[in-house]
Amino acid sequence: MDNKSSTPRITCAYLSQYVGKLVTVVGKVVQLRGEEATIDADGTIHAFLNREAHLSANNGVQLIGKVNPDLSIKVLSSVDLGQGVDYNLANAVVEVTHRYKPLFVYEN
Amino acid sequence: MAGYGGYGGGDGGGFMSGSQQGGSQAGGSKYADESLRPVTIKQLLDWEETFPGAELAIDGHPVTQVTIVGQVRSVKPQPTNITYRIDDGTGAIDVKKWVDSEAQGGEDGGSGAGTIAPDAFVRVWGRLKSLGGKKHVSANFIRQIEDFNEVNYHLLEATYVHLFFTKGAPGSGGGAKQEGGGGDNMFVDQGYGAGGGDVAMGGAGPGGGNSAMQARLATCSRNAQIMCNFINNSPGGTEGVNLHVIAQGTRMSVRDITNAADELLGQGIIYTTQDDETWAILDY
Repeated sequence: MDNKSSTPRITCAYLSQYVGKLVTVVGKVVQLRGEEATIDADGTIHAFLNREAHLSANNGVQLIGKVNPDLSIKVLSSVDLGQGVDYNLANAVVEVTHRYKPLFVYEN
Repeated sequence: MAGYGGYGGGDGGGFMSGSQQGGSQAGGSKYADESLRPVTIKQLLDWEETFPGAELAIDGHPVTQVTIVGQVRSVKPQPTNITYRIDDGTGAIDVKKWVDSEAQGGEDGGSGAGTIAPDAFVRVWGRLKSLGGKKHVSANFIRQIEDFNEVNYHLLEATYVHLFFTKGAPGSGGGAKQEGGGGDNMFVDQGYGAGGGDVAMGGAGPGGGNSAMQARLATCSRNAQIMCNFINNSPGGTEGVNLHVIAQGTRMSVRDITNAADELLGQGIIYTTQDDETWAILDY
């Protein structure tokens, strides 16, 4: 179990930079269809959920998963965040993450 | 708030263990230098212990206590402590909460330990310990986070403190003034992208010579300040800096820049050079 790996926080715009990597996405659940979800994280992201996922539409969610070549996300873990998530704040954190990478991201 | 009440109890326990272990470190009596700093887990993992028992320092500043926010990945109850694995997306680290044998039996002893489940978001206050090259945080207190926004807030705060130590306080000192002051210097200088590191340094030179311009600039909008600082730090000289170069460097939209340019032209801070979309600082 290696400590030194990170799951960078990203929004839709950063997906293409992280194909094949683990990422964290905070966004709003727009639509749920079986094991497929549409998430709004400064843009629309398609996510394929695992069995354990318990999401509700219109709630915030934190997804950790792997970015597929088609820029969808294969979700490994998800947390329902309920209402009241400040998405502007979450997006600001994504920007700061990429601006000050030494604080947040291991480059492997 | 209920959690805060419990803090007193937890803190008492934590202090005891802290002072016992502190016996090996120069009497452990530097209370005046105590600090509590918000950090990302990666910052803790990146710290290299130069010699056994070296004090934690981040960005060249000693740190005694730290606070981290993350998600619990595993919980391992042990005879003397509960070990939590905390992951904040930047890295993962073990957090040990020592079991206070005297307070045992009462779940309200400040630990809240029994109630923290995997995947919960928590805030931890404690000290970084390094044993045989393996780091962990010895926690004074752990509490569950109820408002998810605290997670994001913490990450911004950790960044702010990092910038404070590496680039100086906002609105004080020559370098920071250059950035227009205010609590938002983090966001102002983020506009420079890679060049941001030089701002504090470069700012001291021109910033000193034209305080009148600085005063006028202070009344301008933030976009105008960002643009002016960008031009100031660009090598264009009297030939000026083109609209598109500014757009790229500051990540502002063309329209924002045009508006900012109008504002700066009106103030007599910049002037157009080769064409209407290239500007230089009027500082002679």
